[in-house]
Amino acid sequence: MDSAIRLRGVTKTFGDMRAVDSLDLTVPTGGLYGFIGPNGAGKTTTIRMIMSILFPDSGEVAVLGRASALQAKDRIGYLPEERGLYRKMKVRPFLRYVGRLKGIDGPGLDRRISGWLERVGLPGIESKRCDELSKGMSQKVQFVSAVLHEPELLILDEPFSGLDPVSMRMLRSLILEEHARGTTILFSTHVMPQAEEICEHVVMVHKGRKVLDDSLPGIRSRFDPRSVQFEPLDPAADTRMLAAMQEVEDVAQGERGLEILLRTDTDPALAMRRIMAAVPAARIELSRPRLEDVFIGLVTDSASAADTDSLRAQLRDAATTGATA
Amino acid sequence: MKRIMQIALRDFVAVAMTKGFIIGLLIFPLILVLSGTLLPRLLDGSDFQIEGGYAIIDPTGAVLPELRLALDPEAIAERRFEQRRAALEQIPDSVRDVAQVDMARSMFEQLGPAPDVRLVELPPDADIEAEKAWLNGETDGLRHTALIVIHDDAVAAPGGELEFGTYDLYVAPNLDDRDLGFIHSSVQEAIVAARVARQSLDREAVEAVLRVSPPASITVGPDGEQRTLPGFNFLLPMGFMMLLFMGIMTGSGTMLTSTIEEKSSRVVEVLLSAVSPMQLMAGKLLGGVAISLVTMALYIGVGLVVLTSFSLFGLLDPWLIFYLMIFFLIGFFMVGSLMLAIGSAVNEMSEAQQLQMPLMLILMTPWLLWPVISRDPDSTLSIVASFLPLINVFGMLLRMASTQPPPLWQVWLSIGIGAASVVGAVWVAAKVFRIGLLMHGKPPNLRTLLRWVRMA
Repeated sequence: MDSAIRLRGVTKTFGDMRAVDSLDLTVPTGGLYGFIGPNGAGKTTTIRMIMSILFPDSGEVAVLGRASALQAKDRIGYLPEERGLYRKMKVRPFLRYVGRLKGIDGPGLDRRISGWLERVGLPGIESKRCDELSKGMSQKVQFVSAVLHEPELLILDEPFSGLDPVSMRMLRSLILEEHARGTTILFSTHVMPQAEEICEHVVMVHKGRKVLDDSLPGIRSRFDPRSVQFEPLDPAADTRMLAAMQEVEDVAQGERGLEILLRTDTDPALAMRRIMAAVPAARIELSRPRLEDVFIGLVTDSASAADTDSLRAQLRDAATTGATA
Repeated sequence: MKRIMQIALRDFVAVAMTKGFIIGLLIFPLILVLSGTLLPRLLDGSDFQIEGGYAIIDPTGAVLPELRLALDPEAIAERRFEQRRAALEQIPDSVRDVAQVDMARSMFEQLGPAPDVRLVELPPDADIEAEKAWLNGETDGLRHTALIVIHDDAVAAPGGELEFGTYDLYVAPNLDDRDLGFIHSSVQEAIVAARVARQSLDREAVEAVLRVSPPASITVGPDGEQRTLPGFNFLLPMGFMMLLFMGIMTGSGTMLTSTIEEKSSRVVEVLLSAVSPMQLMAGKLLGGVAISLVTMALYIGVGLVVLTSFSLFGLLDPWLIFYLMIFFLIGFFMVGSLMLAIGSAVNEMSEAQQLQMPLMLILMTPWLLWPVISRDPDSTLSIVASFLPLINVFGMLLRMASTQPPPLWQVWLSIGIGAASVVGAVWVAAKVFRIGLLMHGKPPNLRTLLRWVRMA
């Protein structure tokens, strides 16, 4: 099967700032890809180049088999990071306008609008003016404007920014529904836990460069942790012998209990059984690799400790709205 | 193309269906009509109450009796009637037809409220310096408004020569212009009457001898004859320039605001997901031109109706309207595309005003050049102005509407220069538009804009 998006060596500079640096990216048809990285990593710039809103200084872009998204705009749905509505327009005329710009017209258009508004839980708002909508409502209308023409490829730039938890959950299920319908989806976010919940595949960028491009299971096995979190049943128990066990490389005091690092060639299941036998456990669990840790691990060589902390804060903060990169 | 039309249609409807636009469209002709009908009535002096006390020092003894006669209400009415008749003679037939109603009004009606003037006679040897103090007082509620001092030789020149003296006038502060004019005209009338009597002349005969009514000239054109309309040949170019200016500014102004709105409400990138920036720009230009055309069609229509109803249509060369449209399109696409560029580069209207300044200054120059070009359409300045990009649309149209139209090759050279500058302006604007639409935050200065042009 052809790839829906294919970038080869794409580079874009603004003045003396290299926003995107020889980026390769392939999204196969039907894929659900997360495009993640902190603010300013080059996500929006890349997406705009995919959409032919910006053009790369060098490199190649192919979208849905065409050399430019301009030739396939009717088949692409795009929810930009900087999005809004005409304040004085009513919802139905606005959606009609966007629908016509995407090449759908006729009686089917109105049916689709009503159908979609119902799906996102906003039946009957067609005749409201856009400036009367709440923030969550306008976000939904914007999402409808991106999917109204039932695109083959859906590109969502920071779709969750500024959403409350309920709307976020709703949007997540809408995205998954679209994916189930066969739509290829690429969405960007700077909030890694969100990506972890939805994506099949993750592409990480940092300072315009790609630092990781792998499926979630692939990442999990590649960055398989050898770290066990352990809380003894008796807080006063003597845990010194753990460090002496042959499976254990190191023991450190963590925030909640001990962080036990296993040796590379150890079977974690066996090691955990032996630890529990040595000291009765209130809680013992194998650490799952979080994308955030993976990301920090990948970029940490080039970052100081202070940078690492601020990066970590940024990647967790769902409320931070992304700056234009 | 379908998409461009969709954008144009939305932009047109979003503007043309607002109350503000419709009111704005009608308000200009309304002001014209009002100022044409209401203003002369408001400024008509006949309703003004002339009142005051006049003190007069008359060493000749001949002026005072004549002044009493001149201040007689009937005499005043006659003078006003005569003035109006002379003014009406200058107006074209059709306009006069409407005004004839006034001519038929009785003398008494012409007068307005009767003047309330009291004359105080002072002895010929009165001390002028002392009498000046009188001006700041009043008698029975009537202000002392004027001290008139007739010169000794005002009526009879010494030695029988024809070098007459005149009079001095001292007035109270804050005196209305109409009061002042009335005092002058009354005193002058009285002095002339005294001189005529002194020379034993027949006043009516003298006036009849001096009066030659100027006939209206007849313009003889190839298609017929027409009374010449004074000022028409001077005002016509200005009318065309105003039409052109309003046409250009209406549409490009609405495009500027709609672009800023689309950018500040963040709807623009939603649009860019469906159309390219160039399609968006083309659609907006078409929507803007439609707005302008509606405006111009209305104003040109009103203008033609007025000209036809006063049977002045023959004075207008219909080709001028054709060229007006060509120069409008050139001017609109140039100014309009630059306005779009400005609108795309800024975040709000106040920022746009700064960037607009250079463009506005250029658009103001034709107003300064108008009197020069229409008086002397073949001067070097006029010719240069009709070839400079952007100014040329105004300059050439002014020359064409003037009394000495330029040769046709110059017109088409100017159109060619205009078309080339439209291509240039759209090219530059498109580059700024493409980048500016996505830029938020600090508004760019001119240098940044130039960098964008090189960058895109």
